[in-house]
Amino acid sequence: MTPAKSAGALPNSLPRPDGELAALERAWQPPRGWRLLSAVNNTRIGVFYIGTSLLFFVLAGVLGLLIRAQLALPENHLLSPAFYNQVFTMHGTVMMFLFAVPIVEAIAVYLLPAMLGARDLPFPRLSAYAFWAYAAGGLAFFCTIFFAASPDGGWFMYPPLTSGEYSPGIGADWWLLGIGFIEISAIAGAIELIIGILFTRAPGMTLGRMPIFAWAMLVVAAMIVLAFPAVIAGTTLLELERAFGWPFFNPRLGGDPLLWQHLFWFFGHPDVYIIFLPAAGLVSMMVPTLARTPIVGYRAIVLGLVTVGFFSFALWAHHMFTAGLGTLAAMFVSAASLAVALPTAMQVFAWLATLARGRLRITGASLFLLGFFFIFVFGGLTGVMVAVLPFDWQVHDTYFIVAHLHYVLIGGMVFPVFAALYHWMPVVNGQGLSEAWAKWIFGLMFAGFNLAFFPMHISGLLGMPRRVHTYDAGTGLEIWNLASSVGAAVLAAGVVLFLIDAVRTWSRRPIEHANPWNGGTLEWLPAHDYGVRSIPQIASRDPLWEQPSLAAEVEAGRHWLPGTVTGGRETLVTSPRRALPMHLLVLTGDSWLPFGAGLGTAAFFLLLTVKMMGIATLFGVIALAAMLRWLWQTDRPPRQATAEVADGVFLDVGAAGTRSHSWWATLILVVVDLTIFASFVFAHLHVSMRGDSCPPVGARLANDEAIVVSAALWIASSTLVWLASRWRLGDAGRQRVLHALVIVGALALGLGAATIEWGAHAAAGLAPARDGWSATVAMLVAWQLFHAVVLALMAAFLVARISSGLLGPRSRATLDNVALFWHASVLQVLIGCGVVQLLPRLLT
Amino acid sequence: MTTVIAAALSATLTGCSAAVPPAIEANAERGAGLLAQYQCGRCHRIPGIVASPGTLASNLESFGRRSYIAGRIPNEDAALVRWIMDPAAVAPGTLMPDLGVNAADARDMTAYLRRLR
Amino acid sequence: MTGNVASVLQPAGPTSTLIAELSWVLIAGSAVVFLIVMAVLAWALVGNTGRALRGPRQSMALIVGGGVAFPAIVLSALLVYTTIRTTAATKPGVTGTIVNVNGHMWWWQVRYRDPAGGPDIALANEIHMPTNRVVTIGLTSADVIHSFWVPALAGKVDTVPGRVYQLHLEATAPGVYRGECAEFCGVQHTRMAFHVVVHEPAEYERWLTAQSMPAPIPTGAEASAGQAVFVRERCAACHTIRGLTGQAEAGPDLTHVGSRLFLAGGDTRTDAAGFARWVANTQHIKPGALMPEYQRLDAASLGALAAFLAQLK
Repeated sequence: MTPAKSAGALPNSLPRPDGELAALERAWQPPRGWRLLSAVNNTRIGVFYIGTSLLFFVLAGVLGLLIRAQLALPENHLLSPAFYNQVFTMHGTVMMFLFAVPIVEAIAVYLLPAMLGARDLPFPRLSAYAFWAYAAGGLAFFCTIFFAASPDGGWFMYPPLTSGEYSPGIGADWWLLGIGFIEISAIAGAIELIIGILFTRAPGMTLGRMPIFAWAMLVVAAMIVLAFPAVIAGTTLLELERAFGWPFFNPRLGGDPLLWQHLFWFFGHPDVYIIFLPAAGLVSMMVPTLARTPIVGYRAIVLGLVTVGFFSFALWAHHMFTAGLGTLAAMFVSAASLAVALPTAMQVFAWLATLARGRLRITGASLFLLGFFFIFVFGGLTGVMVAVLPFDWQVHDTYFIVAHLHYVLIGGMVFPVFAALYHWMPVVNGQGLSEAWAKWIFGLMFAGFNLAFFPMHISGLLGMPRRVHTYDAGTGLEIWNLASSVGAAVLAAGVVLFLIDAVRTWSRRPIEHANPWNGGTLEWLPAHDYGVRSIPQIASRDPLWEQPSLAAEVEAGRHWLPGTVTGGRETLVTSPRRALPMHLLVLTGDSWLPFGAGLGTAAFFLLLTVKMMGIATLFGVIALAAMLRWLWQTDRPPRQATAEVADGVFLDVGAAGTRSHSWWATLILVVVDLTIFASFVFAHLHVSMRGDSCPPVGARLANDEAIVVSAALWIASSTLVWLASRWRLGDAGRQRVLHALVIVGALALGLGAATIEWGAHAAAGLAPARDGWSATVAMLVAWQLFHAVVLALMAAFLVARISSGLLGPRSRATLDNVALFWHASVLQVLIGCGVVQLLPRLLT
Repeated sequence: MTTVIAAALSATLTGCSAAVPPAIEANAERGAGLLAQYQCGRCHRIPGIVASPGTLASNLESFGRRSYIAGRIPNEDAALVRWIMDPAAVAPGTLMPDLGVNAADARDMTAYLRRLR
Repeated sequence: MTGNVASVLQPAGPTSTLIAELSWVLIAGSAVVFLIVMAVLAWALVGNTGRALRGPRQSMALIVGGGVAFPAIVLSALLVYTTIRTTAATKPGVTGTIVNVNGHMWWWQVRYRDPAGGPDIALANEIHMPTNRVVTIGLTSADVIHSFWVPALAGKVDTVPGRVYQLHLEATAPGVYRGECAEFCGVQHTRMAFHVVVHEPAEYERWLTAQSMPAPIPTGAEASAGQAVFVRERCAACHTIRGLTGQAEAGPDLTHVGSRLFLAGGDTRTDAAGFARWVANTQHIKPGALMPEYQRLDAASLGALAAFLAQLK
């Protein structure tokens, strides 16, 4: 516990012991040369991540230039219609999935720990794994364009066009399997960010003193956790339809194409706020610094962020206004879509108030911020326009929407990201991008952007639909398209200049960074491979402004944890609300395992796409083995029970039970799991409601008795696991064997339950390919079987931990987390069985 | 040159009225396009062909490995070409319509169907 | 080029006029709000604002006033206005004629009931309607999701396989209005244009009666020869000509194709030259279209066939 500190006293006193700094440096020493690929430090992974995202920006941008080249003239034959469809599909897919979400997560990975005063993210190997899976998978996915084997159904992949009948090639499968697992990457990042923001802030950084970017990422990470599962579920269903003929979306067999649209846009609409809100958070950091005054309306902005995040989940149907959902429902969604403008407007006016209070200095960053204001506000207003139903009925799926989406995405995310790159480049290697070039780059990008995309409002209103590979001469569309193409080239020129300067700047020798813009937040403290020398105790929102001597104190080691206690990498865990120091968090070091697991995961999914089952399984096993080995190395009893992190302040090393950060991470994973499950339940409900009878003619419900027995066995299994989690740990010999047997028993009950349930459905003649209802029931059963397999793996791992004696009172995370996942899985089984068995009775 | 002689010889030897030179270069890629253009997919499910949900006639998956066309004619190139051009002449009473496919098109379609293994 | 009106802002019917009015309100309103916000930005940057926003209360006033109150008032007014106008736009009015439209890859099948009770009248890529009468379009799709959009007359409605949606069209003046497919539907999504031809009511009745007749018997040697080519090449396997062939569903009905404006969802005219060009170059004009290319036809046969089709008025 933290004793009361006398006012003004710093946590640690001078002089610092000999060798303390050297030990800290040794613990955080990055690997050299090609071994850098095994680095897990967020500063390394963050740079890789940002660089890879920008690479995809450029690659997808080139595809955009191809589109504009084809559309510059009417009746152009530069690209064939078939190839054009691949080009625009890849442009959208790569931009949205491989650039837009990753770049904002990447900036968070790099910058957030520094802003929060933490030395690293709480799960360094996890973020390394997420990055490598994304990089490998994304690059392989992009390469499909070189073989003209890319998906060509649009980034939104609507069936029936993307089902096996109308897209018989491999392209759609590349999207479904390739992009599918990259979503898993994003979720891993989100879990990490939530835990990092809530648990590893600097002491004294209460929620009300947290940098706004941290608030933005907290909201965004929660949104990722709730939105991405819907598209994972949809992707799974579509791939099963393509591979095995399970007709979720085939109306001839009782499926419904609109089911995909609901699932996709339930993800898709929050997705655009997932992209925008981090940028808004970055703006909220840069504006006060560059206007040289504290942010005005901190609480209003935070309220705005949370409100937008919350409401964004109610708006997905505004992408379906022409899909026949019923005018009354559409009007509610329309009203909600108008309402969501308010919290965003609040943020805009808070920034305006801050600018008014202060005096903006013109830097490269502030130029891009001004560009952001202009373009994003414009895009927001066209957003209000398309929220109006009749107007959307005219402009939906026309170039007006293309204009709108680029105004809000480029204005609302790309410009702030460029501003951020200018603003925070000094933190990366002490060098700054060229301020002289910045004016030209901004000018080209701003002018080019507006020339490219403003005319699209007009061509849309003149009747030009989206996704057309050409247009007739004499329609009046020629001048606007030509202007757009010229503008795109100008925009590209600006980006090219930026890249040249970025590469130039980044390859300069790194030097210590100063605080060139006189920022007030912690990322401007002197930083090294280990982050800050000591974790600062703060008392305000802009610590560097309020505590002018903070930098010197931190560097001298006067604040918390100035060295390494265990000889390895560590950071502080503080309480979520008031940021009181709770315990010491021991972090994992560099390792090849996440690299191997990431590449293995990517290879597994990509090889599945080309149906090379054997090699795919091999890589899957390699990835799994790497993950198991890496997990085996974690959750160890610490070498010492407590650690002195400040004069006379001793904290526990590590924590157990619900105080363990890994338990909370597992809880978030459970939420993801439950949300995927909920999406499958939604699919079942939706398809059931569409049919004339439930179950449809020719299908039968599984026998109720068998299902009840299966459910009872699962409950018994959960009970045994609960018993195991209450076990007194630390005893040797027979107690351990007994403990292991309880786990094995729980697994046996679960597997027995799964077998009985599967048998009951098989006996009822469940044929998933026959009709949509059967397919959704089979999906729910398959999901449960998948969980049974995962639980089997977990149980085996747990038994191994018990037998090896690694499970102890101070190293019981494996047990607690497995138990949590187990209970959540059983809960899903009960709900799933209940819905399937009871729904027909409710409907008749 | 050899091809032409072989073609002439086989034409003479078979003595068929519908002279179908078998060994001329056939284009499976073009054949795939033709299968879509003649909308064979309305009746047949054909792997790799757009708009072929067809459930009214046999699924042509692995057609290249099949021993028989329409259950009774040995599955050889020449026979398949004749079948596609005029099904009723080959198997009277069949439900497969005459779609007016000419020889060149039928050859290319055959080349594609051969590939389905 | 078809050169016909296809703009949201050049409405030709009551619904589209209403939406156009709404559009101008939105455009003007957005422009005004944009200029206001940019003016505030300019003021914030260059004005001597230090005194204006000295304390937190003034700053909060700007945030609450500009960020909450102002948009709330404007958006509420917009919501009320658009709700009233939306309900006006979706009032069904007097429904008379029903036209069934079935989207295909990549053409629109159009069916009318024969007023005399004969077989349905089927055509493609063209809808005819009388002025000042509401026509109900029943929309569905035979394969993938398309979207039926005539900007001059109404907003768009998706055509979803397995579902039937309704769209009410009404035009105030005769004319030809271009429509597009507005939902990406594959390789020739671009070439799915259709036209709505609006007649005076009497002229419309005449057109409908003429369409309900079976195909005219070809007169002249060339047209008769063309009919023989049509039969020989088995065009009837996909295309229906009422009075000549049986029922075929795979391709557009050609009974009165010569009386239509354009062919194949593009800008080829329905004269003999157009037919000849289309039939001989299908895959060059519309690569990927589900119709073979008839390069094999010699010039005489092609000319005869084209003459035959052109006289199917």
